Amino acid sequence: MKIPEVIPEKYVVGTDTPRMDGYAKVTGKQEYSSDISYPDMMWAVVIRSPFPHAEIVSIDTSEAEAFGAVVLTSKDTNPYLYNERSVSVPNATFRDRRLLPTDKVRHYGEPVMALAHDTEALAHKAARLVKIVYRELPYVLDAEEAMKDGAPQLFDKIYLGDEEVLVHNNKGVIRNIDEGNVDKGFAEADHIYEAHYVLDRIYHNQLETKSAVCKPEPDGSMTVWCTTQSIHGTRSLIAKLLDLPFSKVNIKKVTLGGGFGSSIQMNTVIPICAALAKKSGRPVKLLSSREEDFYSHHKYPTTFDIKLGVTSDMMITAAEVKALVDFGSHQIQPLAYIGCTAGWFASLYKYGSNIRFNGTAVYTNKVPCCAMQGYGNPQINFAIESMIDDICNEHGWDPIEFRLKNYRTVGDEFWGQGPTIRSIIKTSGVKESLIEGGELFNWKERKPHTEKTGRYRKGIGVARGFHTSGTGGPKEGEVIDYSSAYIKINEDGSVDVVSPVMDHGGGTWDALAKICADVLQVPLNKVGMSPTDTRTTGFDICTHATRGVYCGGAAVEHVALKVREKLLEVAGRIMNEDPKRLSIYRDDELGQGVVYLIGFPDKRMTIEQIAFHAKNYSWGTIAYADSYRQKNCPPCFVTHFVEVEVDTLTGDINMTKALMYGDCGTAINPKLLEGQLIGSFNRGLGYTLYEHIDYDNKTGQLKNRAMMVDYKTPTFCEMPYVKDCMVRVCDVYEPTGPFGAKGIGEAALASVAASIGNAIYNAVGIRFTSIPITPEKMLKALKEKEENA
Amino acid sequence: MSTRLLDREFEYVAPNSLADALDLLSAYEGGVKVMAGGTDLLVKLKTGADIPFSILLDTKDITELSFISKCEEGIEIGALTKLCNIDRNTMLSDYHALVEAIPLMASPAVRNMGTIGGNIVNASPAADTACPLMVYDAVLRLSSASGDREVPISKFFTGVSKTVIKDDEMLVSIVLPRVKPDSGSCFIKKTRVKPDISKISVTAYIERDGSAVKACRIAMGAVAPTPIELLGVGDKAFDRVATKELFLELAELAASIIKPIDDIRSTAEYRREISKVLVAQALETAWQRAGGTL
Repeated sequence: MKIPEVIPEKYVVGTDTPRMDGYAKVTGKQEYSSDISYPDMMWAVVIRSPFPHAEIVSIDTSEAEAFGAVVLTSKDTNPYLYNERSVSVPNATFRDRRLLPTDKVRHYGEPVMALAHDTEALAHKAARLVKIVYRELPYVLDAEEAMKDGAPQLFDKIYLGDEEVLVHNNKGVIRNIDEGNVDKGFAEADHIYEAHYVLDRIYHNQLETKSAVCKPEPDGSMTVWCTTQSIHGTRSLIAKLLDLPFSKVNIKKVTLGGGFGSSIQMNTVIPICAALAKKSGRPVKLLSSREEDFYSHHKYPTTFDIKLGVTSDMMITAAEVKALVDFGSHQIQPLAYIGCTAGWFASLYKYGSNIRFNGTAVYTNKVPCCAMQGYGNPQINFAIESMIDDICNEHGWDPIEFRLKNYRTVGDEFWGQGPTIRSIIKTSGVKESLIEGGELFNWKERKPHTEKTGRYRKGIGVARGFHTSGTGGPKEGEVIDYSSAYIKINEDGSVDVVSPVMDHGGGTWDALAKICADVLQVPLNKVGMSPTDTRTTGFDICTHATRGVYCGGAAVEHVALKVREKLLEVAGRIMNEDPKRLSIYRDDELGQGVVYLIGFPDKRMTIEQIAFHAKNYSWGTIAYADSYRQKNCPPCFVTHFVEVEVDTLTGDINMTKALMYGDCGTAINPKLLEGQLIGSFNRGLGYTLYEHIDYDNKTGQLKNRAMMVDYKTPTFCEMPYVKDCMVRVCDVYEPTGPFGAKGIGEAALASVAASIGNAIYNAVGIRFTSIPITPEKMLKALKEKEENA
Repeated sequence: MSTRLLDREFEYVAPNSLADALDLLSAYEGGVKVMAGGTDLLVKLKTGADIPFSILLDTKDITELSFISKCEEGIEIGALTKLCNIDRNTMLSDYHALVEAIPLMASPAVRNMGTIGGNIVNASPAADTACPLMVYDAVLRLSSASGDREVPISKFFTGVSKTVIKDDEMLVSIVLPRVKPDSGSCFIKKTRVKPDISKISVTAYIERDGSAVKACRIAMGAVAPTPIELLGVGDKAFDRVATKELFLELAELAASIIKPIDDIRSTAEYRREISKVLVAQALETAWQRAGGTL
């Protein structure tokens, strides 16, 4: 066989490979935090508030202690005020929460104290022996009510960084942004549109409830296995709250059973568990029940007042958004949430560069809200994309053409994480997805709702959205963004990747392994993702903001390139050649990476041989460790086309067809990408048609009592048939991403709700400005429409 | 509240015969709670329902009550027969509404544990097997250490989670009369998502005499404190020629007499509104299954 002078590299990136943790997961062998056990371990129980707002008058734990429990009240804990979300810089982070509350509780289900005993049953028994006296306070469950004079106040003062801030009328955050000349922009418009949209709170419903196992070590340090999207973020807060140096807190990187954003922050049970472990001197396990989890974190609800100005030639000239957020009883960064929502709004269309955004976020006696897949993006997207559909319908304009005239594209500015983090868009698949998607969906044959009759009416709709890939920009902003990696070539030529990056279940670890395999040209099965922890890894901010592959992967790529350089250097010494004239290719017959001399490929050595020599010559390990910061935050785009069928007699809405057209740059693992898009469609379907959280005004409790039996999420039965769930990927290569990749995770959800809402309009001519659109709401609206006609 | 564990103390017994179970029930009258599949009871206990008892009687080893067999009147189903063993039993295939209701109940995991007797004695207003049993005039056989009795299912329910069963009694079996010739039945329900408790359920039963209706019965779930038969509605069809209009008329009448409520699953208004559609649809299907045409 003739060997060419330069042997082409082979890539596993872009091919379907079985998930590395697939076998363990489907056979139940994968180890999660809750699987960790020690022989002398105690079980913890959290005692939670039975009132939405109450002063804690006294806590009597004497009987529980006599029964053998180790108790933890606020007296035992560090009174430091913290914010569990630590991805923003300190002076852009509000702090209002203590490890355990000292004065009062602010929502039903808030932790009041905790205790631990030898078994879970004994811990529950001990919990019944605790006597807590509360003095009930008036409470408020509505954002508008909360802002009125005389409303119950949750906080008098909080902190922004180290600065004390007074809270007036429960307004936790106010953030206003004004760019261009909005008034002039509206004056130039031929048509002005205004509408009010209501996006309610929902629950993350990640498979794994928030849990921790904490083990005090003989040297005074603390080892923690817990549900987290950021091992380093968790470490910094645990260290602060336990008053330990970082070097004495070790957070293990353990598989996470889903997060959807709810473990970006350190979950409240983790420091409680750690404090109990410290006090008892024994390992402690603390598992949240599903009901406790339901009372711990929700998606941000937001109401929007939107105003758009449009010219008769289809150009948006100005846009104004007023956003009101009811974030509940503690700040898990509504400041960043509002900023990001403003950013998603600003980045959807050009609006003649005239934009105004007024955001207010308000305390109420409800469960604290946190990020959930999209961080404001699905919310604002529903409002804007619904309004654009209305505008096009009114004028008979083609919604695809309208979007193509107005969207932000290559060369335009994109706000990746609010107004302080901006970069220039370098790639965009929007045009492809709208045009090709329209053809796949027979868009041109779409008929208006006025031509539809009969009991069952079908309609099709389109909406588009995006999310950022990471939170890096050329200029640093209020959100921290960098990652780290350590990669070494073992003495047999296999490779260990030591990465702090967490995987929520989307396959991020597979992506990192593939990136490393391709840089070093070694077979994927020779790359191991090291089970690691905070002690052995450099810093990574968090797997959030769709940054796992784009930022975490870029750090792996950066370090792997350095290792490749070192490998060629070592090979050059052994082969007595200039390393610059050496290259690598993957040889699948040998099952090895092979280093060869360019132009004379007969001169070659496997990586195994090189590593083996390096060891025997005592030259040391071929390895490298470094941190890396992405200086862009490219948008990953998505377009959804959907077809629905409305039963006008029962109000049932059936999803008959869906096309998910994604632009993630290079798809590192196409099958997993498909899974992300379809899975996110299912979640968006739940958001749009099924899920809602209702509070009982009489008790301040959730109406479903936090029970999943009364919180319905769509199963696969509610999805279109498999053959009618189409996935397409844009032909895009992002030059700043590892192997051309951007993200997709959060983008995949962004425009689901709006596309379904638009399809419903096309079916029956009814515009819903709030979700979920239940059969009850649909039937009522159909009757009203009939009566008005 | 936590569904992680059942935070309550009680004695647990699992007798392996009906006789032993009945003896326990009579010895500790009032202090025993009988558990069939546990798919409702365990959830209620974990979520703090006020159910007084000191002994939990698990029926899992009473295998003699799990059967489907022919009897003098028709078919007898043991009270502890798992739901998953009912809809695929060929002896029952002519009881259309019953075999239609089962696969729509909850999820496979629940149907593998839940029993038909449990579904009846649990007495949920939305119990999906109750309405089919009503339109077939099923009879419930109850036993206690001191004797047996039979209660027609129409006389069994007295309120939400309440029945005529006495503290020392157990439901032993359900007797279904033989299916009449030229008859058909249909079960329809609406739920929030596929595996769910009914927002509303409709069961229709029709006997046909040529093109006329010889007998017609309608029962509904989740529209009253108990599963109910709409007495007087079906009778209106007696001896009349079956038409779509007739079924719509019955449906309107049904909608006007039910008393649904607003709850977490739906609204009274919606339930009433769609009952007009569902009752007519169930009647049409039952009629067609009885061999009729429209």
